[in-house]
Amino acid sequence: MSHSVTAHGAGKLPRGLAVGLALAVLFSGALFSLATGGRSDVGLTDLWAPEGIAATVIYDTRAPRMFAATLLGLNLSLSGLILQAATRNPLASPAILGLNQGAALGLSLGLVLPLFSGVPLQVMALVGAFGAGVVTFAISGGFTGRMDSLRLVLGGVAVGAFSYAMVRFAFTLEDELARSVVRWTVGDITDIRWPAVRRLALWGLPGLFAALALSQRLNLMALGQASAQGLGADSRITLLLGTLIAAALTGVSVSVAGPIAFVGLVVPHLAKLLFGGDHRILVPVSALLGAALMLYADGVSKVLTAPVEAPVGVVVALIGAPWFLWQTVFARDLS
Amino acid sequence: MTRRARITLPSLVLLLTLAFVWSLSVGAVKIPASVIINTLFDLDGDQQRFIINRSRLPRSLLAVLTGGAMALSGVIVQALLRNALASPKIIGINSGAALAVLLGTSLAPDLALAWLPLVALLGGTLAAGTIYGLSALRPMSPERLILVGIAVGLVCDAGVDFIMVTASTFEISAPLVWLTGSLWARGWQHLSAVWPFLSLLSALCLCLFFRLDLMRLGTSQATALGVNVRLERFVLLAIATLLASISVSVVGVIGFVGLMAPHIARQLVGGRHGVLLPTAMLIGALLVVLADATGRVLVPPLEISAGILTALFGAPFFVFILLTSRMETRE
Repeated sequence: MSHSVTAHGAGKLPRGLAVGLALAVLFSGALFSLATGGRSDVGLTDLWAPEGIAATVIYDTRAPRMFAATLLGLNLSLSGLILQAATRNPLASPAILGLNQGAALGLSLGLVLPLFSGVPLQVMALVGAFGAGVVTFAISGGFTGRMDSLRLVLGGVAVGAFSYAMVRFAFTLEDELARSVVRWTVGDITDIRWPAVRRLALWGLPGLFAALALSQRLNLMALGQASAQGLGADSRITLLLGTLIAAALTGVSVSVAGPIAFVGLVVPHLAKLLFGGDHRILVPVSALLGAALMLYADGVSKVLTAPVEAPVGVVVALIGAPWFLWQTVFARDLS
Repeated sequence: MTRRARITLPSLVLLLTLAFVWSLSVGAVKIPASVIINTLFDLDGDQQRFIINRSRLPRSLLAVLTGGAMALSGVIVQALLRNALASPKIIGINSGAALAVLLGTSLAPDLALAWLPLVALLGGTLAAGTIYGLSALRPMSPERLILVGIAVGLVCDAGVDFIMVTASTFEISAPLVWLTGSLWARGWQHLSAVWPFLSLLSALCLCLFFRLDLMRLGTSQATALGVNVRLERFVLLAIATLLASISVSVVGVIGFVGLMAPHIARQLVGGRHGVLLPTAMLIGALLVVLADATGRVLVPPLEISAGILTALFGAPFFVFILLTSRMETRE
């Protein structure tokens, strides 16, 4: 299968080394996340043989949070990678295309409307994200033929603005929810415990395998619509499957931590920069790098404004928004 | 003035007056229109008079002023970029102003109300300058300008979020309402802080209609007709930024008004700025007054922020323009 590798420019590092490096970064990120927190007396040295209060802090508070950050990073960066490949647009990501906001809308409808009270919240979030994605792609012409870069982003902004207005509307009606809405809308994992981690894993790991299964189709997308079709992969089906997987991954993430933006935008770029354009390697590497980024962001969020914690979503946005700006200024296919 | 404009302008004035009276009458306490007319013309009154004079009248006046200002700003931005999708919000001016005001109020809580328009102005100008400068790094195109504008807006939003979440809960409740674009708790003191600027700028803007007509011809034609395009563009953009950011400083980000009003106006009276500007201004005022009043009617005694309602209508409207304006955006 060397053709797809050469078609995307050869990978810049051997595959084994690439994954090894990403793993090392991930591991140090995990240590950083575990070693920081509200109690500054529990640090790196307590990790090996935790006793007493340190054990409680690490097992019950920091460990679930660490795993949640890992899985969120995995989910969101894969979601972004799939969307970027399926739309062939470097600006695509769950937040820019409105998937995050759509998931938030589905979630708040599930919370507020008695009609949906029987439906699990993750499913509501998935449906919302998928709906938002389909609307955005329909606006930008994705299901008919050529997808327009500007339309894709503008459509996503419009869908996102609409969904957010609906979310705020719903929260205005529910006083109880309004209180936590500020932290939640920027993405917060402070209060995560083990059940939420299990939910993330339950959706994220199958999502990872689905993304691996889709990776060859994503490679074909890069060759252009006609070539992809010629090689037996209808780009519309790839787009639809990709949107479904991305919506599932985004949906469960939003239902646990709120809409965290920009992980899905930054990480795939970083991965492509380091490891070339083959999606069979990009999928696992993006997952690892996304997890690592979230772990570092989690650690920074605990340190940055100590003793008050900044939600991890804000930390990511402070890194990711300038990155997006950079992309729009220097992306080649826009002028 | 065409026949259409002769019909449209007076009917818009009438509509705005009706909406204004309606806006004064609705809210947690309903007040019949007859009482409102009595109060406005100082005939009689009691508790209702208090509500109208203290709360609803300044609020509705602010809605008229800021709605008109946002619409004018939108007309200018669309004429300058020659793009139907542009608006002060889309190109990030609003977010820049919001960030500056939030920074100002969190760094200096005792800041006098009168300074807020200036702070907002600074933020909006910085954002607009950044967008313009960054887009000029590469061959300038309307597409790139809009995308860079969105990105700068996102950077500012990230900053806003950061300030909001690190502030204590007690401090954020007021800015939170303000950020979603609301006229809640706006009173005479807010009105007096901005009305001189806004009415002056609006009047100035209305006088500049012929320059906008020239700018719409495009750079080369305008130059051929003896226009100093760079200077004109700078002056006009400055006015648009001023109008949008001063509005943001009092009522927050009421999105999509600067986008919708110019479009509706163009459908009604055509593209000549002599009539387009006043029409758009009236429509913008109408939209914000209606959004504010509707927000009070829907679920009393709760209030839905005007910005939420304009976004609910504005976003689908935006998509509609996006789908129908393919020819116009591809020049």
